[in-house]
Amino acid sequence: MARNGSAGVLAAPARRLRDGVAYWGASPLRRRRILTAYAFMAPSLLVIAVFLVWPMIRAFQVSFMDYSVLGGSEWIGLENYRNLLSDPAFRNALGNTLYYAAITTPASVGLALGLALLLNQAVPARGFFRGAIFLPVVTSLAIVAIAWTFLLDPDIGLINYWLAKLGVHSGGWLRDPQWAMPAVILVGIWKNVGFYMVMYLAGLQSIPREFYEAASVDGATAWQRFRRITWPLLANTTMFVFIIAAIAALQAFDQIYVMTRGGPFFQTETLVMQIYRLGFTEFEMGYAAAISWVLVLLIFVLSLLQVFYFSRRVVRY
Amino acid sequence: MAAVADRAPLRTQSDVTRRIVLGVSLVLLAAATIVILLPFVWMVATSFKPETDIVQFPPKLLPSDVTLQHYTDIWHRIAFGRLFVNTLIFAGGVTLISLFFDSLTAYALARMEFPGRDLLFILILATMMLPFQVTLIPIFELLTKLDWINTYQGLIVPRATNAFGIFFLRQFFLSIPKDLEDAARVDGASEFRIYWRVILPLSVPALLTLGLFHFMYNWNDLLWPLVVTTETSMQTLPAGLALFMGQHVTEYGLLMAGSVLATLPLVIAFLLIQRRFVEGIATTGMK
Amino acid sequence: MIRRRLWLFLAAAALAVFVAACGGGGDDNEATPSQPTKNVTLTFWNGFTGPDRPALEEIVKRFNASHPKIKVQMTIMPWDSFFQKLLPSYGSGKGPDIAAMDSVQVPQYADKGVFAPLDDVYTDNVVPKDKLVQSAVEAGKWDDKYYSIPMNFTTLLLYWNKDMFKEAGLDPNKPPADWKQWQNAAVKLTKDENGDGKPEQYGYAIADHATIPMWPILIWGNGGDVVTKDGDVMLDDPKTVNAVEQWSNLIINKKISPIGLGGADADKLFQSKKAAMEVVGPWMTTGFKEAGIDFGLAMVPKGPAKQVTLGTSVQFVLNAKADDDKQAAAYEFFKYWHSQPSQQYWAVHSGFPPTRTDVGKAQLKENPYVAEFGEYADQSQFYLVGVKDFTKVNTNTFEPAIQRILNKKGTPEQVLGNAAKKIEAQTASN
Repeated sequence: MARNGSAGVLAAPARRLRDGVAYWGASPLRRRRILTAYAFMAPSLLVIAVFLVWPMIRAFQVSFMDYSVLGGSEWIGLENYRNLLSDPAFRNALGNTLYYAAITTPASVGLALGLALLLNQAVPARGFFRGAIFLPVVTSLAIVAIAWTFLLDPDIGLINYWLAKLGVHSGGWLRDPQWAMPAVILVGIWKNVGFYMVMYLAGLQSIPREFYEAASVDGATAWQRFRRITWPLLANTTMFVFIIAAIAALQAFDQIYVMTRGGPFFQTETLVMQIYRLGFTEFEMGYAAAISWVLVLLIFVLSLLQVFYFSRRVVRY
Repeated sequence: MAAVADRAPLRTQSDVTRRIVLGVSLVLLAAATIVILLPFVWMVATSFKPETDIVQFPPKLLPSDVTLQHYTDIWHRIAFGRLFVNTLIFAGGVTLISLFFDSLTAYALARMEFPGRDLLFILILATMMLPFQVTLIPIFELLTKLDWINTYQGLIVPRATNAFGIFFLRQFFLSIPKDLEDAARVDGASEFRIYWRVILPLSVPALLTLGLFHFMYNWNDLLWPLVVTTETSMQTLPAGLALFMGQHVTEYGLLMAGSVLATLPLVIAFLLIQRRFVEGIATTGMK
Repeated sequence: MIRRRLWLFLAAAALAVFVAACGGGGDDNEATPSQPTKNVTLTFWNGFTGPDRPALEEIVKRFNASHPKIKVQMTIMPWDSFFQKLLPSYGSGKGPDIAAMDSVQVPQYADKGVFAPLDDVYTDNVVPKDKLVQSAVEAGKWDDKYYSIPMNFTTLLLYWNKDMFKEAGLDPNKPPADWKQWQNAAVKLTKDENGDGKPEQYGYAIADHATIPMWPILIWGNGGDVVTKDGDVMLDDPKTVNAVEQWSNLIINKKISPIGLGGADADKLFQSKKAAMEVVGPWMTTGFKEAGIDFGLAMVPKGPAKQVTLGTSVQFVLNAKADDDKQAAAYEFFKYWHSQPSQQYWAVHSGFPPTRTDVGKAQLKENPYVAEFGEYADQSQFYLVGVKDFTKVNTNTFEPAIQRILNKKGTPEQVLGNAAKKIEAQTASN
């Protein structure tokens, strides 16, 4: 089966722009090809230009202003950016975000891989398990967070009640500055693990079984088969899943907004939560915009780093 | 393409070991599923509990008195049918249009050569990185200028294309063997014809997958439709359900009953396309 | 011939007089916007979701039915969505004609010129100012003008669980009257029978975030304040620190309340009979009653300095861009809202006491609790009146400070001192 050398999509940046042949120096046929390409992309590009790029430009512009949306804005240059460098609240949010991402990403990906490996066997009711584990992805987080808040209530919630029966003394969960972040991480992992698991399932199922058969003939153990065959051949999937998971984790907002609003006393405030708080409740949209551009930079740099890290390990065959 | 349907495991271990491994796997999966499904069990159970039984101590997971009151009341308290239709139009409209636009763009990015192709791709990816909290207001200003507030086009057009969708489909198209297209091109078919007649039919799993993503994301979206529409006749389900969340008192029974009813279509959709879903992801060039 | 001309002239004169008399409108006062001359649609946004919604919708329906030229088009959504939607809407000039919001949220919008001053609602007697709850009226003042007028009003009262009082050996019909009794009762009602450090029953559930403000009541009772009406920061005043010290010590050492409760959490604790006392508004009476709790209602116990409770009011605001017709229509709606029949209906069905002080107990007897909440209007105080950035001061500085103290991240003196400095900087930059 012919495989494209560009299978590693995120290795695209590493490719040189071979297509840099200028339009005007091209033959009429080539010109027509280029026009056709842009014609195909025109609808998307139009929507993106108007409803994504323009707001981004506006957000960039606003980050240099003292802007409240309701009027009375003024240009202040780099002041927003200078302020956030010395703002302890920003550093707190940055730290929380990095901590959250550093735990959630590997945990979700690892758990997803584990579940996929389990489900890749002939266990009964596979469809049921797959559907059940995917269910959190499909539901509205706002509603399901209410369910979690009830379950995690330290005094009248089921989880602490059951734990107490087992003799385990449990924490204050969302009310406790020590436990609030773990609770929020738990819900974050819970929400997305099904999605990553399904990706891994797909990746697992496209590994040719001949490889495993050959390995067993050679007397390899299960662990060796995993380490030498499964894991390397999943590298592409792992890269994709890891990067998507990281981007989602760095932008964590929904469950934090519903469950803790960033509290207790800002212990769970991530960057996007802070952006919301500053922009919508304190009317400092300019400052919020500046923070969001710092976030974009952070995501971009981390994504690039991950691409470089994984590209070298991707197996092409 | 290698078959991606469910396959039997390799018969390389002795029967007993295999049974043990399967047994342990089953236990682990069951444990994981129980933890994962716990909030949903709570939600469904709560929807059948009388309101006074919901907040109590000691807490009980399952209802002791089962009532259908919430499921009948909800149709009087909010215009559930109307909300359902509105949400269907919004989510369905966005999904269909987005699939069309995303696939066109993904096809160009995957199969055509033109100056700036890779740069454009990176730029499109970069649009996923800015949080909506800062883009919401500029988009709203635009919609106001276009006088698209309270209109279906205002709801749907800004979502008519999606960077993740373009990304996803581009990967998929890259993994389709070129032979079929090349044959079609030799026969003189136009690009659009190739896209429409050759590529799209081969992409049904990926399109179904992406379609489900778009549909469920927009089906559950509260803030966007709420901000763009003010007429109650255009409200969507999440906005309707939010009416049960009072400032001080939340009507949990009604809220959970409504949520169960609102989530049901998504669950059914997923169950129907489960198989093709996994297929769809398998062939997005991640091998 | 002269006769015919005379008749014509008289007829014309009569006609002229007739037209003049009919077209002038019946108002004595020239300054009041007269009745709208054409059909007007008023958009009205607010956050009265949940059980409050039916009563509000009914009143609006009745208004629309009795005012054929005016249609109030109401959109209701949860408060946080409301504010998220309000910002871009007002920013693009597409805000609602009238809206409702808590009095503490009004100044930051008023300061940006989004709302029209409503002083003439009072001066032109559209709504009888002297018949309304005065503290609610004054809560709508910003920069010497009334930018909002009351829509609803309530105080917070002490709920106590009579059965739990009896069990603890306290008189179930005698609620604590002062702080000493209150604190003793709270300690007595806190039970940790299995000694695991976590009480099975709490004496007094108090929320420190995401709630109608409960801590300020304790601070005021001791003579302290967070920011006074005149704009002085009193958070580090010894009386304030002492109040916080007393109660936080009880919470930390005697565990009379869990730490980190939101308003809804505190309600749930009382409702599930895990807390014996709570100071909260009228919205829980139905829930508590249906949970089978035999509860009593009383004024908040007297503190060392005074006996005071929180007054809170959601207020109407008018879009500064509203034209004369819309303004006239809005004033009609305000008038209708504050009429005696409307207030009687509102109070009985929503549980919020009437905004008018002349709706007597007899008219409210369908809802036994609502009169009580209105009774103590004179002893109610509003929180952070005249402070422009309520969210910065309360939600992002005061509440986290209390949480820090309860989690032992510093002594009350230290933490409140820091918070006071922060608030001074916030209020100074206005």
